[in-house]
Amino acid sequence: MALFILRRLGVMVLTALCMTLIVFALTNLPPNLEKLAKTQAGTRITDDEVHSWLERNGYSAPILRRYGEWLGVVPASVATDAAGNVVGGRCLRGVRSTSIERVPRYCGVLQGEWGYSTKFRVPVSDLVTERLARTGVLMFWAFATMVPLALIFGVLAGMREGSVTDRTLSTISIASTSTPEYVSGVVFVVVFASSAVGLKWFTGSAKSAVNGITFENFTLPVATIALYGMGYIARMTRASMAEVMTAQYIRTARLKGVKFRDIVLRHALRNALIAPFTIVMLQFPWLLTGVVIVEALFVYPGFGDALVQGAQNNDIDLLLAVSVVAVVVVLVTQLISDIGYALLNPRIRVS
Amino acid sequence: MEQLSWTGALGPWLNPAIGAAVLAFGIAAIAHMFVALLTAGQRLQHAPGTAARHSPLAYRLTRGGLSLALGALVVVALAYLVGGILLPPDQKGIIGYLSTRFLPVWIALGLTFALSFAFRRRLGLYGHLFDNPVGMIGLGLVLFWVFTAVFAEMIVTFDPVRDVLPGMKNRAPGTPLANPAQGQFDHYLLGGDMLARDVFSRMVAGARVVLAIAPAATLFAFMVGIVLGLPAGYLGGRFDSILSFAANLVMAFPVILLFFLLVTPEIVEMGVPAYMAAVLFLFPIIFLVILWNARYRTHPMRRNILVGLTFLIGGWLYLGLAWDADPLGLISIPDGVLIVFVSVVFVNSPTVFRIVRGLTLDIRTRDYVAAAQTRGEGAWYIMLWEILPNARGPLLVDFCLRIGYTTILLGTLGFFGLGLPPDSPDWGSSINAGRGLLQVFPFPPLVPAVAIMSLVLGLNLLADGLREESLKD
Amino acid sequence: MKTHIHPAARMYAREVTKGQMSRREFLGRATALGVSASAAYGLIGTSFPARAQPVPRMGGTLRIQMNCLELKDPRIYDWSEMSAVSRGVIEYLVEVQRDGTLRPMLLESWAANDDATEYTLNVRRGVNWNDGTPFTAEDVAANIIGWCDESVEGNSMAARMASLISDGQAAEGTVEIVDSHTVKVKPRTPDGTLMFGMADYPAAIVPKDRIGEALTDHGIGTGAYMIEELKVGERIVMVKNPDHTYWGEAWLDRVEFLDYGTDPSAWLAGADADEFDMTFEMVSDFIDIFTSIGWVESEVGTSVTVVIRPNREAEVNGIRPYADVRVRRALALAVDNAVPLELGISGRGQQSNNNYHVAPGVHPDHAEIAPHEKNVEEARRLMNEAGMMEFEHELVSIDDDYRKNTTDAVAAQLRDAGFKVKRTVMPGSTFWNDWTKYPFSSTNWNHRETGIQTLNLAYRSTAAWNETGFRSAEFDALLDQATAIADSETRKAIMARLEQMMVDEGIAIIPYFRSLYRHYKPGLVGAQMHPKFEINIHHLGWA
Repeated sequence: MALFILRRLGVMVLTALCMTLIVFALTNLPPNLEKLAKTQAGTRITDDEVHSWLERNGYSAPILRRYGEWLGVVPASVATDAAGNVVGGRCLRGVRSTSIERVPRYCGVLQGEWGYSTKFRVPVSDLVTERLARTGVLMFWAFATMVPLALIFGVLAGMREGSVTDRTLSTISIASTSTPEYVSGVVFVVVFASSAVGLKWFTGSAKSAVNGITFENFTLPVATIALYGMGYIARMTRASMAEVMTAQYIRTARLKGVKFRDIVLRHALRNALIAPFTIVMLQFPWLLTGVVIVEALFVYPGFGDALVQGAQNNDIDLLLAVSVVAVVVVLVTQLISDIGYALLNPRIRVS
Repeated sequence: MEQLSWTGALGPWLNPAIGAAVLAFGIAAIAHMFVALLTAGQRLQHAPGTAARHSPLAYRLTRGGLSLALGALVVVALAYLVGGILLPPDQKGIIGYLSTRFLPVWIALGLTFALSFAFRRRLGLYGHLFDNPVGMIGLGLVLFWVFTAVFAEMIVTFDPVRDVLPGMKNRAPGTPLANPAQGQFDHYLLGGDMLARDVFSRMVAGARVVLAIAPAATLFAFMVGIVLGLPAGYLGGRFDSILSFAANLVMAFPVILLFFLLVTPEIVEMGVPAYMAAVLFLFPIIFLVILWNARYRTHPMRRNILVGLTFLIGGWLYLGLAWDADPLGLISIPDGVLIVFVSVVFVNSPTVFRIVRGLTLDIRTRDYVAAAQTRGEGAWYIMLWEILPNARGPLLVDFCLRIGYTTILLGTLGFFGLGLPPDSPDWGSSINAGRGLLQVFPFPPLVPAVAIMSLVLGLNLLADGLREESLKD
Repeated sequence: MKTHIHPAARMYAREVTKGQMSRREFLGRATALGVSASAAYGLIGTSFPARAQPVPRMGGTLRIQMNCLELKDPRIYDWSEMSAVSRGVIEYLVEVQRDGTLRPMLLESWAANDDATEYTLNVRRGVNWNDGTPFTAEDVAANIIGWCDESVEGNSMAARMASLISDGQAAEGTVEIVDSHTVKVKPRTPDGTLMFGMADYPAAIVPKDRIGEALTDHGIGTGAYMIEELKVGERIVMVKNPDHTYWGEAWLDRVEFLDYGTDPSAWLAGADADEFDMTFEMVSDFIDIFTSIGWVESEVGTSVTVVIRPNREAEVNGIRPYADVRVRRALALAVDNAVPLELGISGRGQQSNNNYHVAPGVHPDHAEIAPHEKNVEEARRLMNEAGMMEFEHELVSIDDDYRKNTTDAVAAQLRDAGFKVKRTVMPGSTFWNDWTKYPFSSTNWNHRETGIQTLNLAYRSTAAWNETGFRSAEFDALLDQATAIADSETRKAIMARLEQMMVDEGIAIIPYFRSLYRHYKPGLVGAQMHPKFEINIHHLGWA
């Protein structure tokens, strides 16, 4: 078991390395560096100015070398002016000008430095931690709404395949997966938040949720995420439940005259929930995409917003950190789902 | 010319009728719910599937009532559509006009269903769909949009991109044109959008764009996934490890970041998507060549013809699509569309790969595979002609679901301004363009939103139907 | 629905500011045209009577919806949002008011000689930096010299101070400290627009030893406020600086800038949730919506426009399609400028007189020439003659509400004329990378107080922002002549020739000049829309 987890961790590190290398290569293509210079020094600067800006801020070294600087295995280059004063470089971003002796030689991931966000003007680690915490809160409430609802829907529907309840709940589930977030979110805002035509029960902006979540400012974003995600889990639960209900031991129990409610609660439920468990875990990374839309729609400055802003402004260090987080989230949830599957299902052993 | 009403001359009769039907349906539904709750104890003693026969009278009564009310609802809805077609033009309402415009679709739908139903016993899995109401509804919805895409030119009332008529900006459904030219259609049936274009025509034309891109991109992703997934699952070993690692890598990418990185003009300038297209578009050709080669190895003549044809036609398409270098100048794909297309294929391929690999791992232990192995069949023959056909059920289901997912993804891209060119009538772009003003001018975004939802709903229902029927096999 | 302000009322308003009409007569005529009294007062500027503009009370908090950007060295500011924040701390020598007139801030007064080659700046006395040191002529001179430094990447002040610069620096003797509170500035060539340059948003005055640093690095300024919190992309909080005695008046205790992104529907959601009291700007159909939910609408006519221009130097597939004047003229002739005005900005602005970059009724040096008329036959004839009928024009624009729609409307008309047009839309983050080089694209241009400023900035052969590839010695010579004339009225004769040249050259399609809008809650004072989007939190307060 320990070996298994260790091996998965190794794969995770390898994946993160490959991923960051790809992201690094793409964000460091010459036109993208030019874009960075222009967002930093002014949208309308000339090509010469772009060149000297890149030179001065340590973006002109060969790409692999700079990837090494980011990792912290290569000492970071420092640009100096004619008089020998330090003017810029990887270790100097976000630091006020200082003397050359005081500039650290390495400032990469291995030293615990995740770099400096050129868009948000703060250390990446601070930004990502803060944004992840906010998105975590959003995700928590989305899951807290979505999962119980989806499981109830799925179990009720799968309990009696083909009944009116099944048909109704299945239709609702399918309809909810067919409604993209950018449709449901917008409709929710108009219906529930607009003061011109709507009910004005909630607010269509989650900006104030940063200072404290309230029922008003958090309901709509949570509902939007939950609605789209719910249908899928509900359908998986239903399929799993329906399969269990036709299993031999359930039939036997029925013939023995065990009460239907007891059959469902005591015998069927546990086995029927194994499959949905893995599905729920695998929903995490997928939710990341959904969260990006919802955060943009409801002006919630979370992780998804940081991703979009970083990509739009070619914020290299931020995007690298974002992709590392993504890899970790995806692979850790996969791991948990595998282990959990094995623990729940005595017939399978982790190997 | 005056403003059209929704129902036209049919309104006075049918509007009360539909009201009554809805009311009846509501009452029946509530009644049935109560009865179902009250009689739950009695019914739950029986095995599933036998419930209806042994149910108490009240339960059966309300259930029948529910079906009856639902039937009435459908009949009245049909009356709107059929009546709309039959009415003379000056008495038609918006629904009547819409129904009339869709006439080619109705005819095609009717013919397809009639023929398919008649020959359903000879049509394999597809025929079985007609035993499954859910699948039939799904198929109907999907076919509706497919035929709309096919007949789009006959259905549209205006040019969806070029007809920008002054004074029609953000107008309500049924607004007449100020001074229509000779032979021009004289109303904006579903109103005008923020650039004074006809919402209805854009919705119809959008079906063509969406149904050209989404299924094709999904198909390409399947080609890639199958060509790589079959050997990965069948042969295993290092080949499998490397590919699985690569697939996991792509899947761990947040989709939005991947798109931002691929679709930004800078990357496009560097030609990255073009190279990706060059690689990804090779897979269908490889797939077909291997397919023919494996099957007709013993008939060199036939094999050579098929492989030659594949190279000729495939190569021609490949040059046109991937390199924009069709020697005949017929096939080309606009830059903006190509990038989106390639990116969507790229994002979907690893998931398909995983599914195919998983299915192959499962199927390769079956007896008929072992039998083929002892017969001395080649590895590719076994993969393509033994394993693949037996994996078709789950793959077909996933194919339907994946088209729906891709359709939604296209809209997501439009949401971040990364999608197709802005005047493209595709649904995602239209929703995104109109969503800000939904509360004042609801129709420009709602019409494509309903379209996207109904198509995805149809695909999901179809997938459900297929799953149920293929499990019965 | 709100009614639009009658154009004649705007014309009268400008006569009032020029002193050609009395205020009383103006109010009478304007209200007779259906303009409400408060709107009429709005038209003639903010410095007007207590009746229209009550004195705000002391104290209170104001929340403003605005993009929260990072603060850089002020010289390289490229968005006025940056100055809206820093203006609370670092101030300006002079300030442009809504009506285009200048008002002294850190100067007490200034004077120019007749041929605009010597300016005397009288520095305000009794002003202190918030670290306690006095503000003097040395600070002013150091800042002006700093503005002239062309070696700083992105220093846009250099273009505004061009007449002071030689070899990339302020020329010897152009900036002279006379005494502790007097500075003399001597342009090398006559320059009638220098003071407007000093009022522009990158011209914030920082301490003499802090030039080149961002405000966030030191926080030292003359203003009444200090930055309490700055989170790029989220929010910025300004509070009154308790340790500093401000030279002027400041009402509010606390100002919060909140970032809602660029999507106006998100702004509306924020307003519906009562999360802010004032918008930075309001656009398109949302103007009516915000007015309908009870917010105060403030409109100002400007020379803000969208220029849809071919670049005659750009190559497409080995040819220079727009080097031929017939092609350029054909494009302009195929377009009725009323259509982009309606479809692009819902008629919120005025149609241009003809395709030249001087706004009638806004720029005091605008000269009337023959108006533009759409002529499709002529357009097709010219295009055929040039043999370019089959050429596919790729029209590039940014992905943003009105600019995209305006460009789409132009594209649609070009297609109607039988030309082949392909539209390309780029996200804002990438559009500006090569904005001067696209073969055929649309660019938005901000407001400038006089027509000659814009022409110098965008159409001179050597201008860094020349996006049309138009380089004409004759045009440059006329520009030199016009620039040397300080009086707008006298400049008109030469302006007419410049304008006509632009039309004949088919320089671009310039369909309209926008009005700008801002919404705020009733009871807020001093928040009216400014032609350059300026927000000075010192002037804001609650009634």
